[in-house]
Amino acid sequence: MESISRISGLLETARDLTLEAAKDVGPRRPTRPLPTQQIKKLLDSRNEREVLDGLRRVIAMQYANPPQPTLTFFPAVLKTLSNPYPSTRPLVYNYLLHHAEADPDTTLLSINTIQKSLSDSNPRVRAMALKTMAGIRVPMISQLVSLAIKKGVSDLSPIVRKAAALACVKCVTLDANTRPQVEEYLAKLLEDQQYYVAGAAVQAFAEICPDRIDLIHPVYRKLCKMVVDMDEWGQLAILRLFPTYARKCFPMRKKRVKKAATREQKAQDFYEDLEPKEEREEDFDEVEVLDPDLELLLDSVQPLLHSRNSAVIVSVARMYLYLSPSEHLPHAIGPLVALLRSPKDIQEVALYNIVQVCLAKPAHFLPYIRHFLIRTSEAPQTWRLKLEVLTLLFPHCDKSMQDLILAELEHFSRGHNSDLVRESVRAIGRCSQASDAKTSRRCLSLLLKQIHSSDSVLVGEAMEVVRHMIQRSPDEHRKTVVRLAKNLDSLNSPMARASIIWLVGEFSGADPQNNIAADVLRILVRGYADETDEVRAQIVLLAAKVYLHDLNAKNVKKTALEALNSPSQEKQPESQVLSPPPEEGGFGEEHQQETPEAPEEEDTIALLYQHTMLLARYTSSYDLRDRARVYRALLALPSSTELASLLLLAPKPVPQAPSPSESHKGYALGSASLVIGSAAGVNGLRGYEPLPDWVATGEEPNAALRDAGGSGKTESYEPQKAVSAGQMLDAALEADPGYKSNGRKAKTLDDWLDDEEEEEETESESGDEETDEEEEEEDEEESEYETDEEEESEEQESESEGDEEAGLVR
Amino acid sequence: MATIEALYIFDEHNNLILNNVYTGRPPPPSTLLPLYLQQPSPRPSLTYITSTSPPTLLFSIIQDNLLFLSPSSSDTEPLLVLEFLHRVADALEEFLGSPLLASRITASYDVVAQVVAEMADAGIVCQGEANVLRDVVETGPGVLDNILGKVGLPGSSPGLGATPSSAGILQRPQQQALSSQGSAIPWRRSNVRHTSNELYVDIVESLSVTLAPSGRPLAAFANGSIVFTSKVSGIPDLNLNLSTGGKGAGMGNRGDQLRSIMERVVFHPCVRLNRWKSDGAISFVPPDGRFALCGYEADLLGPGSPLTTDQRSAPKLDLPAHIEMSTGLGAAGNEFEVRLTLPSSTRSAAVASLQSSLGNSSRPGAFRSTSGTENKGPAVEELTVRIPIPPNTRNFSDIRPTKGEAHWSLVDSCVEWKIPSKEVATISSAGAVLRCAVQGPVSDEDDEAQDDTATNGMTATTYDYDDDAPSSYQAQSSAPASRSNGAGETTGRARVDKNRDLMPTAAMLSFSVKGWLASGLKVESLLVDTKKSKGLGAEVKPYKGVKYLTVSKDRIEARC
Repeated sequence: MESISRISGLLETARDLTLEAAKDVGPRRPTRPLPTQQIKKLLDSRNEREVLDGLRRVIAMQYANPPQPTLTFFPAVLKTLSNPYPSTRPLVYNYLLHHAEADPDTTLLSINTIQKSLSDSNPRVRAMALKTMAGIRVPMISQLVSLAIKKGVSDLSPIVRKAAALACVKCVTLDANTRPQVEEYLAKLLEDQQYYVAGAAVQAFAEICPDRIDLIHPVYRKLCKMVVDMDEWGQLAILRLFPTYARKCFPMRKKRVKKAATREQKAQDFYEDLEPKEEREEDFDEVEVLDPDLELLLDSVQPLLHSRNSAVIVSVARMYLYLSPSEHLPHAIGPLVALLRSPKDIQEVALYNIVQVCLAKPAHFLPYIRHFLIRTSEAPQTWRLKLEVLTLLFPHCDKSMQDLILAELEHFSRGHNSDLVRESVRAIGRCSQASDAKTSRRCLSLLLKQIHSSDSVLVGEAMEVVRHMIQRSPDEHRKTVVRLAKNLDSLNSPMARASIIWLVGEFSGADPQNNIAADVLRILVRGYADETDEVRAQIVLLAAKVYLHDLNAKNVKKTALEALNSPSQEKQPESQVLSPPPEEGGFGEEHQQETPEAPEEEDTIALLYQHTMLLARYTSSYDLRDRARVYRALLALPSSTELASLLLLAPKPVPQAPSPSESHKGYALGSASLVIGSAAGVNGLRGYEPLPDWVATGEEPNAALRDAGGSGKTESYEPQKAVSAGQMLDAALEADPGYKSNGRKAKTLDDWLDDEEEEEETESESGDEETDEEEEEEDEEESEYETDEEEESEEQESESEGDEEAGLVR
Repeated sequence: MATIEALYIFDEHNNLILNNVYTGRPPPPSTLLPLYLQQPSPRPSLTYITSTSPPTLLFSIIQDNLLFLSPSSSDTEPLLVLEFLHRVADALEEFLGSPLLASRITASYDVVAQVVAEMADAGIVCQGEANVLRDVVETGPGVLDNILGKVGLPGSSPGLGATPSSAGILQRPQQQALSSQGSAIPWRRSNVRHTSNELYVDIVESLSVTLAPSGRPLAAFANGSIVFTSKVSGIPDLNLNLSTGGKGAGMGNRGDQLRSIMERVVFHPCVRLNRWKSDGAISFVPPDGRFALCGYEADLLGPGSPLTTDQRSAPKLDLPAHIEMSTGLGAAGNEFEVRLTLPSSTRSAAVASLQSSLGNSSRPGAFRSTSGTENKGPAVEELTVRIPIPPNTRNFSDIRPTKGEAHWSLVDSCVEWKIPSKEVATISSAGAVLRCAVQGPVSDEDDEAQDDTATNGMTATTYDYDDDAPSSYQAQSSAPASRSNGAGETTGRARVDKNRDLMPTAAMLSFSVKGWLASGLKVESLLVDTKKSKGLGAEVKPYKGVKYLTVSKDRIEARC
């Protein structure tokens, strides 16, 4: 979906000047910088507005370009933290996070106050404090952070629990030793009933310990059901995590299905046939059987295909492609294609993913072929990929659609953008490569038409593609070569001429009676002086080839005569003379069937060859002269042509033009490596992880883990909720060896903080009760909040009681 | 890994205006910017920079002339980062006003810093809803008042948000306690109060049409977005019913009909998918303010229409403006012509669609003002034709439009033909015509030909043309007979061939039409479900407004 700012751009074509005007008329914010002293004065003020103004100036200085030094304000800013104004707090926290690393000692002074806020009555304040505390990059406080998270995990407000989940990541980055504790917290947060807490927990889990799938088992089904309600970022984490989980936990089962000769089955075979890997090895009778749990996952993410977030849609497509390509993937195709209407940047990345799916399952995209027509105004990245989709779809289309694609390609091959011309001609070549003989011929005739164009880029590229096509199936194209040779009269592009001459040379051995090679050479030699070096080199090569074939033919005749004269003699020398390997496309056979030619003609060929060599000898290009010398040496002895045959008539490898994206085929859908392609290296970019293979049957974790854990733990979760934070803190102090072992420093700091915290809490408690009562009066209107708040106030009381108890115990 | 490492924003002159590091030690913006600018334009949205250590993936979007960059040192889902960048732009716009200007960002760093920090926590994206950020971001007193025109914001502006009936002294803490609970609806900020309750539906369709040289449409899509503006107190529960305007009749119930028009629909998370699937109604609790409710796509050729080349069976496309192009005209074949016609049939349809009205409105007059058009029917506005010109064109000897103005822009290498709105009405049924004569690059043959206007010449840019050998080949093949008769004819035909290289291959049409939708969709009704809504008095009847807009931005392309 287009982002709202883009659409509003369309809606407000005449952009509101009134707003701008209003802003200018309204109270203008002072932009003039103040001296440091004056800002400090503002910060020290007792007036909220002035403090806020000071803080704003400090933040603006901090973000300004180039940034101005603001570290000197640290003490003054910290002092404002004690002010009761809610408006200043976020700014102070922001400042703190920015400067914590630069001045850790001063930062530690603030920890005390932040910890107080952790037990504030307002959950937003608690969440913000937790977030800030975890964000301070001072490794010394990692244990404190861990404790704060522990407290946050059992907080009543989901906002705080969400903050706790996100803080887990920061805690582990700060100090890797806290990982075991953090994993415990995460296990608990994953069980949370509130979907956005669970979503954040999955996000954190995916960052910290994506391999600990044992934590996922008990919550697997619950998460599957919750995924629809999560926010997009939680959904993305699940969609990233669960394909791996599924591959590790659900072995691929196949069921034997008796072969049905229905049309559907045939169609399926047709699709399956195009699939490169696993499916292909399997028998067609086998159909994948989905584990019920896997099916639950696949079904529950299906509504996400209506998401406005393109990343979610591609992630769902990825899950379907790698987990259930035949059954679920078709649902994802339409939404994938719909991504083409997103903004350009997203469209481009989406196209890479579409091409990837298209390589695996081209047939699914047939109904959407019109979406991939190229527009003149498109960026190169976009049309390149669209061309690729069109060529990938081409073999699967019916005739009218193929006409459309070819017409499209032809149109763009006549354009003015040389890159686009080149790519379209290549695309025509790929189309012909992938289709049957009849269509291939159509492509060829299309290309041959292009040869007369005056655009040298087009002609050169078209010739190149034609050459590839002819080389791929030389036997069918003898006539084509003759047709091409006719074009030599009119063709201007040196590259195309050279290409044609080379082709004529390659075919000079075939069908000796009607061979045109010698004639072509005769005509070309006449204009030798006017050709470019590129073409001359090919003329010389052609002469050498024609002469060589001629010599070979004579030798054959001679040996045949000898054999006739002395039939007892073996045919050993003959086969040596006719050394061209069998792959050469039947040249050898034809040589043997050759009939004697008129002697005058043979002489002509020899003369022609000598003449060409002479021409080459006096060419200015030394490369050409060298070549001529090589040929002359090779063909010096008419009786021994073996070496020359090996060199000049060697079979040429058949050129292949795979689809450009074929090289990134291994990368997972949705990854950056896929977009970057070959530059990303063999194993993808740093941090790229391919999907694991399906787990072998019998090695998967027991499915019972999922049901036993799921129901059992959620029940036990409810009572846990009532345990107060203070009690848990105590329990942690006793139980957690990591905490004790971590030495004196943390403990003393904690003690020192605890004292003040308790004071603070008793204060806030009395305050809380007042506000709570007020709230209950007001709640008649807002019945929505009623239950939550009552719980909240009760919890608040029990919590502080707990803390008092804790104090007594201590 | 799905962490955002940093966010850099640059203004239109590539000056850094925001540098926010989320996590890790990403390369500084001063290093990344030149590496990004090295790429040839248009720059890809994801580039891989190997000259930094470690190699960096660089994501970029451009919004309102601002460049947003985000580096990443490891493989991150590209779409996740790009979506995040778009959301940041949306959120900044929500707080700072539209359009997003560099000066606005630099003037309120305190708000920007909070918004940016709230959207991703240490690099993990955690909040994408701009509206909910309103609960979290402290804008302080008096910041938003002037920008939002005193709509009635709670929280930061005491006195406006709180109900006047509650005890004055306790207003503030109580308000905090309410908002602190967090909204029950993850996309709507809590405690919304508005003095005037208003609901607006804007449907924008952006056309994307490709016409074959024969005039037959190859592809025609309308990409629609429904933009919703909700300024209603409490938690309203709304039902938006659309109708297809007669299309797809006889295709099952209304939901089916609607779904046959609106294909590949995506929704804002607030929409209840079940209702859409069962009866085609869009039922939702909106966020506060303006948001994109829904995106869809309408195939104007009808789904599954044949792709035959037979022109008689070509599907009829109902567009407010059409262009045709013919090239290679004139004696030397160096002229081309673009004909623009405005079929009158669309106007009547448009009038019909304009007369759609919403039930239950206390003030029907409200539509008229919002739709912004008079009763005479929607007019085609901002009519522009752009013709991309091959780069080897030297000059235009003639540009003649019968209406409006046309000029050749060398920078964009295109001819732009603009027809002002007031002249649009005067276009007759025969249409308006633009005729241009092209001059190719200078070459030696110009002198030989001695032809005044006609341009000529083998393009010296294409390949070496030093000898006359190739030309002798050409002459032999193209007209061996005419050589003796008259050289003039040969050169004339050759010139036409050569001028073919100078002919444009496509023309692109842009326009906007208010009050008309290409897909024929209409808003049938917009109802507030009073039973499910909360905090909205039964007697309150919000204003409702609807606006239709169809635009094409270079997206109607006629080939030749």
